[in-house]
Amino acid sequence: MVHESEAIEALKRALRRLPGIGPKAAQRIAFHLLGRDRAAARDIARALEQAVARVGHCQVCNNFSETEMCTICASPRRATGLLCVVESPADLVSLEQSGAFSGTYFVLMGRLSPLEGIGPEQIGIPRLENLLEGGAVREVILATNATVEGEATAHYISEIAHRRGLLATRIAYGVPVGGELEYIDRGTLAKAFSGRREA
Amino acid sequence: MRAEEQQGFVLHRHAYGETSVLLEIFTAQFGRVGLVAKGVRRPGRTFAGANLRPFQPLLLSWTQHGELGTLVAAETRMPHVELRGNAVWCGFYVNELLLRLLHRHEGHRDLYGAYEEALKALMRDGCQEPILRVFEKRMLAALGYGLLLSHDRSGRAIDPDGLYVYGIGEGPVPAAQAGTLQGVAVRGSTLTGLASEQLAEPRQLREAKALLRVLVDGLLGEKPLHTRSLFRALRTASPE
Repeated sequence: MVHESEAIEALKRALRRLPGIGPKAAQRIAFHLLGRDRAAARDIARALEQAVARVGHCQVCNNFSETEMCTICASPRRATGLLCVVESPADLVSLEQSGAFSGTYFVLMGRLSPLEGIGPEQIGIPRLENLLEGGAVREVILATNATVEGEATAHYISEIAHRRGLLATRIAYGVPVGGELEYIDRGTLAKAFSGRREA
Repeated sequence: MRAEEQQGFVLHRHAYGETSVLLEIFTAQFGRVGLVAKGVRRPGRTFAGANLRPFQPLLLSWTQHGELGTLVAAETRMPHVELRGNAVWCGFYVNELLLRLLHRHEGHRDLYGAYEEALKALMRDGCQEPILRVFEKRMLAALGYGLLLSHDRSGRAIDPDGLYVYGIGEGPVPAAQAGTLQGVAVRGSTLTGLASEQLAEPRQLREAKALLRVLVDGLLGEKPLHTRSLFRALRTASPE
């Protein structure tokens, strides 16, 4: 049994808490940082500390933000009547990169997952209700994932929206751009069919 | 061991590592099985032709060495199943019951049939209480805790108009003779309705729910069902 320094062990334990990092990868990263790239190690430590200290949640959309209101919510160029609800900040980034949407967002930071005990209170739904209560939103666009939990979450939020007399729309499902029908799973194909529109 | 093209359903899936998922599946022959499906969350994912999500009938092949198997092939079986609206909450409830009450690797053909029928009914009729009660009844029978519904404890046929106390682990006793017996008070028609799986009147449904709740809770033990607390949250949220 090789005894390593307590600090190295602590670093490996900390790295293992990252998603997708197992014991081997943690060791590789720890040795790389300490052996070959101490400057990077210091940068990472500083960046982490600053991010944890500075980044909170936007008071409006619940996304990560350094300020009380994030840049999207604060922007005068965004259409305020359209609210797009997504599960995670990563989904928001994907939508922003698509350039398809110019309204504002609400980030749930999760989805309803009954089998894991994640209910409306555990994700941002009470905050979303407050936002809808504010009266500025006309249409709620449900852009949660097309998983069973994502659908259930969309359904739940659509009921909240309907109770307030708001329009709730769900993003479309279907054939991916450049996709060949032969290789598309049947569920998606069935959805694409039922959701067809006039050409 | 290798299992080939087994009919089954995903009860639950969670992310496992960066690109894989851990599936709890339910099959007729092997019962509940835990499987790792590698690479499912990658773009250009494996098993792309199959819809590895709850409630969808699937054909699954896997290899098994330890507690967790490895999925090697998956195909979607027709029809494409989708629980809409509130039916999905009922589906989650049924799945949670199976996850909590089934041990891994115990085949349950009857229960599998009951599960398939419950899903079909939920898809067709939406979230209807009788579907859940019939499933609970059949599940208890499949697990060896079947209800005594045609006769009372002393062997007399159930009188639909009679009042009974259903003693847990004992069966129904006419209320007049029940004395200090601990149990759930039910009408005879609730018992016969459960027996014939025809529950229509609100009173039957209310009593059947109370009776089955006590029996199911007896098997679940202390830990509450997540889906049940979510049901409560949903009900308080909607003004119906």
